[in-house]
Amino acid sequence: MKMTFARALGAVAALALTAFAAQAEDYKIGLSNGWVGSEWRTQMIEEAQAAAAAWKEKGVNVEVVVQSANVDVPGQIAHVRNFISEGVNAIIINPNSPTAFDPVFAQAKEAGILVVATDAEVSSPDALYVGIDHKAYGAAGAEWLVKTLNGKGNIVAINGVAGHPANELRVSGYKEVLAKHPDIKLVNEVNANWDQAQGQQAMQNLLATYPDINGVLVQDGMAAGAWKSIMDAKKTDQIAATGEIRKDFIDLWTKDKLNSGATVNPPGTMASALNVAVLMLQGKELKEPATAGQYKNAMYLQIPFIDQSNLADAAKQLEGKPGYYSYTNQLSIADAEALFK
Amino acid sequence: MTTDLVAAPHKRQAHGLKRAIERFPFLPALIILVALLVLNGVYQPRSVSFVGITGLVKTYLALMLLAVAQTYVIYAGDIDLSAGAIVSLVNVTIITAMTALGGDTGAVIAGLGIGLAVGLACGVVNGIVVAALRLQAIVATFATSIFFTGLALYVMPVAGTPAPTAFWRTYGGRILDIPFVLYAVIILAVLLVVLARTKLAVRLLSVGDDQQAAYQSGLPVTRIRLQGYALCGLFAALAAFCITGDTASGDPLVGGKMTLNSVAAVVLGGTALAGGFGTVTGSVIGALIIGLIGSLVFFVGTPSEWQNLVQGVAILMALMAGILVGRRARR
Repeated sequence: MKMTFARALGAVAALALTAFAAQAEDYKIGLSNGWVGSEWRTQMIEEAQAAAAAWKEKGVNVEVVVQSANVDVPGQIAHVRNFISEGVNAIIINPNSPTAFDPVFAQAKEAGILVVATDAEVSSPDALYVGIDHKAYGAAGAEWLVKTLNGKGNIVAINGVAGHPANELRVSGYKEVLAKHPDIKLVNEVNANWDQAQGQQAMQNLLATYPDINGVLVQDGMAAGAWKSIMDAKKTDQIAATGEIRKDFIDLWTKDKLNSGATVNPPGTMASALNVAVLMLQGKELKEPATAGQYKNAMYLQIPFIDQSNLADAAKQLEGKPGYYSYTNQLSIADAEALFK
Repeated sequence: MTTDLVAAPHKRQAHGLKRAIERFPFLPALIILVALLVLNGVYQPRSVSFVGITGLVKTYLALMLLAVAQTYVIYAGDIDLSAGAIVSLVNVTIITAMTALGGDTGAVIAGLGIGLAVGLACGVVNGIVVAALRLQAIVATFATSIFFTGLALYVMPVAGTPAPTAFWRTYGGRILDIPFVLYAVIILAVLLVVLARTKLAVRLLSVGDDQQAAYQSGLPVTRIRLQGYALCGLFAALAAFCITGDTASGDPLVGGKMTLNSVAAVVLGGTALAGGFGTVTGSVIGALIIGLIGSLVFFVGTPSEWQNLVQGVAILMALMAGILVGRRARR
C-alpha cells in the first residue's frame, strides 16, 4: 500500500515535471513583416524560420507563425492583434512605422507577450529592438568614402524615402562624418526611394549636372542602379561609390573591379532577434540591458562592411546562391547566449 | 444600418431578392462579412470574442471612415487618390498642434478642430482642381496626394511625436465599461443616416449617374462635385483622428497606403466606381471585409510566401461574389 502510494506520488511528480518542462520549452513566436517588395525581406523570414528550427537541437521547440503581406499601418496593427488572439509567446516585427505601435504593443505586453522589433527601431517602451544602428550604417559608408578619396573631393548622396526613420538616421550618420572632413564637399542630395530605377535615373541626372564628382553615397536598394549609370557614363575609374550586398552586384563588383564598399544590413537580423527572444522567454537576463538608441530600448548588432579587403570572402559566402541573395550575418544561438548572464 | 436609403436615384418594381438588393445594394457584402466572421471564428475563436471584435473595430475604424470619405466622391463618378495623404497630413497636424498647445483636454479639442479644418481645406483644394478646373480626377488627386504628403513631411519631417495621453487613452479606453470605439461606431451610424437623407447625397448620385442630364436638369454640377470632395476631406480628417487614437503618434507617411484600400472597400461594398449607384453602409462593410480577409489568411495557416497572393485572390473572390449576386438580382 505504501509502495503504491509512493509510486503514485512519483508518477504525479513526473507528470507535473513533464508538464512544466513542456511549458518551459515550447514556444510559439509570431513574425510580422509589413512589406514584401524585395527579396531581402523574403530572405529575412526564411533565415528566421531556419533559426527557429535550429533550436530543436537544444531541445527547445520553437514554432513560428508568420504574417507577411503588403499592409498599411492599420493592417500591421491587425497583425499584432491577430498574434495576441493566437496566444503567441513572443512577437518579432519588422515595423512599418516607428511610433504607431505603442498602444498595441502595450496590449501585447499586458497579455504577457514579449515584443521584439527588428530592422527598424520602435518608440514603444514595451518593446525591445534587436538590429543594426542605422546611424552607424550611414556613418560606415561615409567613413569608407572619405578614406577612399583621401579626405578630399566632391560627392553626391542618393537617399531613400524622405521621412522614413531608417533613412533619416542613415543621413544623419553620414552627415556627422562629413562634418569632420571639410575638404569633402557634398554638392547635392536627392531621394530615390530605395528603388533601383530611380537610383539609376538620379545618378544619370547627377552625372549630367556635376561631371567632375569623385564620390557617391548611395544606400543599398538603389546602388546597383546608380552604378549602372556610372558604368554607362564610362566613369568607373573616376568615381568611388557605395554598393550593394546582393550576389549579382558583388559578382559585378568583382568582375569589373569597381571602387566600391558596402555597409551590410544583413537579412539575418530577424533570426538574430529570434535567438535573443527565445533566450528571454527562457527567463535569462541580458548582461547589459538593452538601453541604446534614441528610444532607450535598443540592442545594436555589429555591422559588417564589405570592401576590397574582404570582397572575395563575401563572394565565397554567396557562391551558388541566386542573384538576388544577400550577404548575410546573424547572431547564432551561441553568440546570443554570450550576451546573457 | 438598415435605414441607409440612398441606393439609386431610379427605382423599379421587381421580385424579392432583386428589390432587396436594389434597396440595400450592400446586401451581398453583408453576407460575405457574416461568412468571414464565421470563418474567422472557426479558425480562431478568440478573434470573434468581444475583445477580438473591439480590436477589429479599433484597427479598422480609420479605414471605414476613409472608405466613407471615398464613397462620397465616387458617388459622383469621381475618385480621390489623395485620401490617404490627407490622413497623414491631418495626423501630423493635430499631433503638432496638440503638443504645441500643451496637450491638455482644451488642446486636444482645439487640435481636433484644426484637423477638421485641414481635412476640409484639402477636400476643397481637390474639389477646385477636379470640379472647377476640370482636370481628370484620377491624375489630379494623384498630384495633390504628392503635394499633401510633401506638406505632411514639412510639418513633421520624421515620425515620432507622441499624442497627448488624454487623447489616445480615450480612444483605446472604455466609458461605462463599454469600449469608446463602439460609441464611435454608433455616432458614425447616426451621422451616415443623417447624411444619407440630405439633398447632397442624392445630388452626388445624380451627377454620377449622368452628369450631362444632371446639368441639363439645372443641378449646379460643379458645386455638387466640389461639395463631395469637401465632405471627403472631412471624413478623411475623422479617419485621421482614429488612426491617431490607435497609434498614439504622428507619422508623416502613415496614411499613404490606405488610399487604394479605401477604394477597394467602396467597390466591395457594392458601390459602382463609375458613380451613380451605391451606399456608404456598403463601404463600411467593405473595410471590415478587407480587415477580416487579412486575418483569415493568417488564421487558416497560409505559408508566408503565399499570403499576399491568397489575400489578393480572396478579395477578388469577394468582389466577384458581390457582383454575381447583384447581377443576378438585377436581371
